[in-house]
Amino acid sequence: MSPQSHADPAVDTPATASERSRLMSRRSVLRGATGVGAVGLAAATGAGTAVALTRQTTQTAAPAARPIAMAAMPPNAMAGPLVVYLRDTNTGEMDVFAGTGQVRVRDSALVAQLLRAMR
Amino acid sequence: MSSHREAPEIAKDPVADSTDVYAFVSPDRPDTVTLIANYIPLEGPAGGPNFYSFGDEVLYEIHVDNDADAQADITYQFRFQTMLTNPDTFLYNTGPILSLNSPNWNSRQFYTVTRLSGGRSQVLASGLSCPPCNIGPLSTPDYARLAQSAVHDIPGGIKVFAGQRAEGFYVDLGAVFDLADLRPFEQLHAQYGMNVFSGSAPGVNATAQLNVHSIAIQVPISQLLWGGRHGDVADQASVIGVWTSASRQRVNLWDAERSQVVTSGPFHQVSRLANPLFNEVLIPLGLKDLWNTLPPSDDKRFADRVAHPELAGLLPALYPGVFPNLDKLVKSSKPRADLEAILLTGIPSGIVTGFQNFTGPVLADMLRLNTAIPPSTNASQLGVLGGDLAGFPNGRRVFDDVVSIELRAIAGVTVPLVDKTFTPDAAASKVTDGLTAASVPSGYLSTFPYLGVPYSGFSTPSS
Repeated sequence: MSPQSHADPAVDTPATASERSRLMSRRSVLRGATGVGAVGLAAATGAGTAVALTRQTTQTAAPAARPIAMAAMPPNAMAGPLVVYLRDTNTGEMDVFAGTGQVRVRDSALVAQLLRAMR
Repeated sequence: MSSHREAPEIAKDPVADSTDVYAFVSPDRPDTVTLIANYIPLEGPAGGPNFYSFGDEVLYEIHVDNDADAQADITYQFRFQTMLTNPDTFLYNTGPILSLNSPNWNSRQFYTVTRLSGGRSQVLASGLSCPPCNIGPLSTPDYARLAQSAVHDIPGGIKVFAGQRAEGFYVDLGAVFDLADLRPFEQLHAQYGMNVFSGSAPGVNATAQLNVHSIAIQVPISQLLWGGRHGDVADQASVIGVWTSASRQRVNLWDAERSQVVTSGPFHQVSRLANPLFNEVLIPLGLKDLWNTLPPSDDKRFADRVAHPELAGLLPALYPGVFPNLDKLVKSSKPRADLEAILLTGIPSGIVTGFQNFTGPVLADMLRLNTAIPPSTNASQLGVLGGDLAGFPNGRRVFDDVVSIELRAIAGVTVPLVDKTFTPDAAASKVTDGLTAASVPSGYLSTFPYLGVPYSGFSTPSS
């Protein structure tokens, strides 16, 4: 197995070296965006809604028309709190973390709703 | 230091900061190998009331490559869980702790050991107790015995221990990081024209009264080698590559309402260690935390840092006239194939009589142990440099003087292994920070887990 990342391979396949160099550091999630337009949002299951807004985008990009799940989240990964990291408000791309799983989704409508809630 | 606080980010995360890795054929059980990974650098023994413990959110791992591809073939995972007996007291213990199930012990830690191999995960043992920290004569009156009771025999002929130990690594941190001062030779240092030193001075062991947290596992050699025990020194399959890593989940969020950290997502490596001083001395500040996130199999991208180590260029500059041959070598820009062999591939057969720990052409920082070489009956702290094939860089024992070995190697003493025309400077074989294993007040144990009894908070520092 890859020593640098431990997860359900359906969720987080081992990254190449060049990919890894682009990945978020473990603290980037806490501290904010590594790229333009990222927004951090977190929700404890059944306990809250968005709690952190780190940065908004000024760039423009074509939004996705409807939610797109880029990888499946395994059922057993859903235990515990669920955390959403909104990577880019323009594309609506989000990383959703739960348990030891991670899935990337794209949902511009949800992003717009979340941003409205933060105002 | 070996790898204590070696990178900017991991220095802020001590429980995930690996400090040293050891791998050696067990001297008292030579059919086994002992693997030790230390974490939490520079523990002050009097660290109460919240004495040091492993990170419950950290995934600790010790990896073994046995087929020379720098990929883990066997991984031992360690996960910890802290339990408070009584959350309504501020005390770590409410009376003497005389046993691992003492009702007086309030803050306890348990762990699970899991073996990964061939895509299969097997829990070897769970609910194993760590010992408490060494507090003092009232709280932990018979500490050595108490801690030894936390050595657990688990299925497969394996022993494990996880808990506080005395720091066994010795180094003159105060001098070394004062612009590479080596006290025994400091009168020869350029001193930037300040003439601070007029004579030599003995080394000072900066870690002499500090503790660490050790994860130690002793495993039959047959369980580590590809195809079982080989027993032939010349057989490449007798060699294992070892390293440790610590990983955290990608999301680490402070839930202020609950006053606790929320973790979520896949684990991501934040710390890695094999050869002492590799990340610390060879990798530049701007790349150290990246290096920590990568597997050994990616180390090719750092090979130039090994082939042209910064310190080799500094020694002739800081000690003018002491290293003329090294100076010429550095200025020639000739790659240091000796260091590449020691640190990145292992030493092939035919270089050192009766020895090899070669793992093939994949450039990777691993601690390489030839398991067919028996423990020494007359050990040298200088390991292979001292003619003792059972010591560093053939794996690493707890007492090996890795600072002197690596300083001398960088100073050029190992260049003739690959270039017979090179003559090392006379000083190269004398370079040291002035310390030996005798500089460790706790000493070492002759049996598992080999690192000494930790210093107690009561008596350290002494008045």
